[in-house]
Amino acid sequence: MSKTMETFKPGLMLLLVAAVAALVLGLVNLFTAGRIAAIAEETMNAAMQAVLPAASYTDTGFESDGEIDAIYASANGGWVVQVTESGSQGLVTMMVGVSPDYACTGISITESSETAGLGAIAGQPSEKGEAFRAQFVGQSGTVAVTKEGGSIDAISGATITSKAVCRGVTAALAACRSLGGGASVPTVTVLGGSDGPGETAVTQPASTGPASAEPSMG
Amino acid sequence: MNRNKQFFEGVISNNPVLVQQIGLCATMAISTTLFNGLGMGLSVLIILTCCNVVVAAIRKIIPEQVRLAIFVVVIAGFVTIVDLLLQAFIPALSSALGVFIPLIVVNCIIIGRAEAFSSKNSVKDSFFDGVFQGVGYTLVLICMCLFRELLGSGTIGGGLLNGAKSFITLDGTGAGLRIFPETYAAGALVLPFGGFLTLGLLMALLQHILSKSAAKKAAKEKEETT
Repeated sequence: MSKTMETFKPGLMLLLVAAVAALVLGLVNLFTAGRIAAIAEETMNAAMQAVLPAASYTDTGFESDGEIDAIYASANGGWVVQVTESGSQGLVTMMVGVSPDYACTGISITESSETAGLGAIAGQPSEKGEAFRAQFVGQSGTVAVTKEGGSIDAISGATITSKAVCRGVTAALAACRSLGGGASVPTVTVLGGSDGPGETAVTQPASTGPASAEPSMG
Repeated sequence: MNRNKQFFEGVISNNPVLVQQIGLCATMAISTTLFNGLGMGLSVLIILTCCNVVVAAIRKIIPEQVRLAIFVVVIAGFVTIVDLLLQAFIPALSSALGVFIPLIVVNCIIIGRAEAFSSKNSVKDSFFDGVFQGVGYTLVLICMCLFRELLGSGTIGGGLLNGAKSFITLDGTGAGLRIFPETYAAGALVLPFGGFLTLGLLMALLQHILSKSAAKKAAKEKEETT
């Protein structure tokens, strides 16, 4: 009997410790899950407002293809695209604002596990991060870092992250182009916040090349 | 156990990073701004103390064969708790430290202290060991952050201090106090190899001080005996 006990005791003890740990973790999760989800939603909303301000967004039901997660049509024209790219340490999830004429209106990185102080700068609200993200505004066609013939200055020490962001923006622009037809309410200018009903300027869906396109880089 | 001696050991003569040379990976990667360094240091301090206490409390009932597995479960449990709490209450720090919080699970400082100290000592001693070793780790991180940030970016207190707006920001957005223009900063120090250089210099400095004080002590004792 005691011999059997000797054999099973280590396993049982491990089971016990693991069970207690799981219980405690379950409790902590119960208390924090709601808050974490609320913060995630807030971050997402703030990111969408930052890249393309609008009163509301509607999911276009775009089928996820491993790169593009979702495309939201803005009530004011244009789209906000959620893209996931692989960076240097893991996945980088970002929001890309796209205007009705397929130019980038801004980007915001919502989730990444890039190296602190290097790749992580791309998503941080610091001076360097703002400067990096501001470069994407107005870009269209294929977006690339200067090393690859594009016009985006990579973050020093974080070329892989910078390239990932470029790929994400390129994919988002291409996806919106494939969606075509401008957004649900096509207007010439993208207005911040207010969508006045008086504005009835219905333009042709931008089927031709973007009006203010920069020479596309390959 | 003598607390002063234990404190001296944790912070200086048996410092986890500079003397035991464990937990170097995260040290190298994280010590680029004061906000990150302080956040990481305090997270390790809290997790280390909790793990030490629990390991010491259960040290007599856990079977020898599976002790390491049990230590890992305890450590992983506390790391996950801290990770969830940071995500819920200090999201800025959570996003700044990124993957390094979950990686504390495999940070050898914690399993090292569990195996070397708290599995052999009382709960009280283990608690103080956790605090002192954690303080030692945090101090090294702060030194490295200050050095690398000052020479690498030309600022002090990045993420925490802010020259322009309110002086102290706790959300990690502060740009730091600019000491000299960024153009003159040696950006290489912020890169990983700058971390190795800084760590090497700190180790050499500490060894120099320790050997000097040891020599002084020996000379004094010699004098007394003659």
